Formats: sequence, C-alpha cells, structure tokens
Amino acid sequence: MLEFLIENNVVCRAVEAMVFASIACSILGVIISRMNLSSIGFTMSHAAFAGAAIGMYLETSAQIAAIFFSMAVAALIGPVSDKAKMAADATLGVLFAMSMAVAIFLISYLQNMGRGLSAGSLLFGNVVSLYREEIYALLLVSAITVIFVLAFYKEISSIMFNMKIAEASGIRVKVVYYILLFIIALSVSLTLNIVGGLLIFVLIVTPASIASQFCFNVKSMFMAAPLVAISVSAFGVWAGFKYTLPIPPLVALLLTGVFAISVILSFKRRINYKKY
Amino acid sequence: MGIIELNDIYTAYEGGDKPVIRGLSLCVDPGEYVVIGGPNSAGKTTLLESINGLIKITHGSAMVCGLDLRRHGNAVRKKVGYVVQNFYFDPFTPFTVEEVVLMGRYGRLGLLKRPSKEDFEAASKAIQLVGIEDLAHKTIGTLSGGQQQKAMIAHNIAKEPEVMMLDEPFSNLDFHAREYLQGIFKQVVRSGTPILMVSHAFDGLPDIRIHLVVMNKGRIIYDRECDSKDVESIIRKECAVNEDARISH
Repeated sequence: MLEFLIENNVVCRAVEAMVFASIACSILGVIISRMNLSSIGFTMSHAAFAGAAIGMYLETSAQIAAIFFSMAVAALIGPVSDKAKMAADATLGVLFAMSMAVAIFLISYLQNMGRGLSAGSLLFGNVVSLYREEIYALLLVSAITVIFVLAFYKEISSIMFNMKIAEASGIRVKVVYYILLFIIALSVSLTLNIVGGLLIFVLIVTPASIASQFCFNVKSMFMAAPLVAISVSAFGVWAGFKYTLPIPPLVALLLTGVFAISVILSFKRRINYKKY
Repeated sequence: MGIIELNDIYTAYEGGDKPVIRGLSLCVDPGEYVVIGGPNSAGKTTLLESINGLIKITHGSAMVCGLDLRRHGNAVRKKVGYVVQNFYFDPFTPFTVEEVVLMGRYGRLGLLKRPSKEDFEAASKAIQLVGIEDLAHKTIGTLSGGQQQKAMIAHNIAKEPEVMMLDEPFSNLDFHAREYLQGIFKQVVRSGTPILMVSHAFDGLPDIRIHLVVMNKGRIIYDRECDSKDVESIIRKECAVNEDARISH
C-alpha cells in the first residue's frame, strides 16, 4: 500500500504493520485508559500468547488460535466480574495469570517432548518477516476499530465519562463493553507477532496517556493518540532499519520518552501563579 | 394510576444475607414532589436505584412510567432522570459541561443514532435554566463540587424525563444555589414531572405540598402529604419514635 513511498518491500511492510497496529491499539487505548482498564492490555496480550502456544501444541495456525483464545478470555471478563462481584481489574489479574500459566506450561511441555518451540517472536515481536495477509488483517482490524468508535461514539463517550451515570441514562453499557472487549482481543492477537506480547501494552496505553496531557476533550484525544503512535512507530521502524536496532523495543522506548517529555511540557499541569 | 407503582417489593444486593428493601409499597402521581428522608442506611438510595432498575427487584410488582420494571429496566431508565450521589470527576476528565449535559439525551436516542438539532437545543436550554452558561465550555473536572452538581442536574433536565430522581442534590451547594435549584424543581413539578428527592437538607423546600416518605431499615414508616415547612420535624419525630420502639423491644 505504501510502496509508492517506500521502495524496500521489507521496510514498507514493517511501516504498514506498525501504522495499522498503532491506529487500532491507540484508539482502543484512549477508551481503556479512561475506563481505568489499562491491565486489559497485558491480559489480552498474554491471552493471545497462550492461544498461540495452544495453536502450536495442536499444530494449527498460531494466529488463529491466538484470536480464538483471546476472544474466549474477552468473553469471560464481563461474566466473571459480574458473577464474582469483583472489579474488572481483579478479574483481569486472574485471567492474566491463567493465560501466562497456560502459555508457559505448553511451551515447557513442547520443549520437553522435543518439539522445539520458538516463543521469541510472540514475546518480542518481529516486523521483518511479515506476510501481505497479515498486513491486510491489521488494516481490517484498524478499520473495524475506527468504525466502532464512529458508530458508537455517543455510547462510548458516555461510558468513558462515567459507567454508572451512562447506565442510569439508559445507555446499553454491557453491549458496548462486550463489543469493546472483542475488538481489543482481535487487535491484540493480530498485533501480537509484530510488536510482541510484552510490548503491545505500550502501543495501547502510552499514546493515550500522551494525548491526555494536552487534549481537553475526548474527540481530540481520539485524533491525537493515533497521530502520536503512527509518527513514533514510523520513525522507530526507519531508525531500526537504518541503525540495525530491534524495532519493537525501540518503538516502546521512543514512546516512553515522548510520554516523559509530554508530562514535563503538559500545559494542563501548569499552575497560574500570576497575581491579578 | 400512579407514574410509579411499587407493590410489596423486595430488593437485595447479590451476596447480601438480607433484603435491603422489604415489603415496600409506594405510589407516586404525576406532578408530586416526593421527599424521601430517614436515617443513614435506611434504604433511600437503594429505593431510587430500584426504581430505575439499577438494582434488581427480587419480589413484588413495580410499574414505572407504565412499564413493568422487572422486564423493561433499560426502557425505564430512558424515561427516568437520576442524579447520582457522591460523584467525582478528576481534573483530566476530557468532557466539557456542554458535552456532559448533551449526554443526558443519549440514552433516549437509542443505539447508533446521532443527536439532532432538537437534542442540542434541549441541552442548551438546560444549561441556561440551571444558570451555568459561563461554564459550558469548561471541562467538568476543573469545576468545583457545587458546579459539577449543577452540571449533573442540567444533564438530567436535558433528558426531559418523565420522572426525576435526585440523590442528595444539595450536598455540595451553598444556600443561594439550593434556593435557586429548588425554584427550578418547583417548575419541573408544575410541568407535571414528579420529583423524588433523597436529602438531609430541607431548608428552602418550595412552598408546595410535599409527599413525604420516611424510611427506616428498608421499610416505609411514614407516607403522607405534608406542608414543606413540616418536613424536617416529621422526619425527626418519626425516626425518634421508631428508635424508641426499637429500644423498648
């Protein structure tokens, strides 16, 4: 898609993958951070990681298994929180631990059985050897995310403002919440082998946190967060190839650096000491 | 037929060993100003949350705005305005007062529908009515507790509800603001929309007949009309009688 701009096929696919992953993750990140559900990022990424391990154990597609397993975890979050009367964050912690246990158990088991398994790309990501189909899948998931936010903007904004007030107003909070969980599961499982399970959290949480330092309304946050994520990750891909550096951790470090600068420069934090 | 008809209802929180509300019956007619009083943990907030279906009714029948609450909870919530108790919006909340007030209209619009010109006008009118035009473009988290309270009242007025419920609406307000808002509530009631208000502050109640409900331990112990100036004394008396009866037993 960006071949007209970038001649090198490998670099081009890496940029495309990072751009689409940035759009989906950062838009979802704006919603997640406002709802205080940041831990959903690492729970989902580890669910996808466990799913990929299950796929390898069953000798099927790791990515499809990752999608199914993270969808199953997404389907569990709401009902488990409701039934156990626990905060969603506590449920996420339980499911995170379960996913991690499944993944480690299967990886160790497969290694003991002599079926060598490289979990490196799932943990740390790999933007160098991507198939065109993977890029199209990411394009699709970023389009689904944008359409979801545009279609349910009034419901999403009400829930982001206050879940209880939204429910009391007659908003169908659970419907929107469950759709959100499934889109997060889909985005995370498709992004897993690009940025890796350990770093995907950065793409979800950090751009939204940077945007929140400067934006006074949620519409501008929905625009600023993907712009920041796209710019930083595209620069990260360029710098990674130019100086032969590992791209996913480089992008993570760059985003963290931008976040630190944004906290220092944030005019929302400034106090006006002027005397009138 | 009342706009709210509760008949022998019980409600319980999941996992709770006892029902919070027990055998409660209440009828509210259009245009009534209902004040719900009583000691802490009497079940006043639970009653409001049961009326708009946020807490499940486990027994009894409940009709609100002509709908069976146990079957149509969400449809009821679209018709009932509810100012919740004890909210706090942090300074980074990315919503302006104007946006928050408009959100009052979102529930009744239904999924996938965008707010129309009429919705924007209703929000604008509510902002003017509550007198917060100068705050309309400010983010809600940067306002004082009282200003946030007014914004949430405007949010519910914009909804144009068939019933308005207010849980401690004056908790952050000075007496000028209380009097001003009581004037607005009087207009709301005169337009035929009943108000159910849980409060511990009874100064400045409008000079109209009040339907007073006093609760204690999940039950209604007083349910009659009275004069607005007698509200506080009746609540004190009823609660004291109830406490004496408990001690003598």
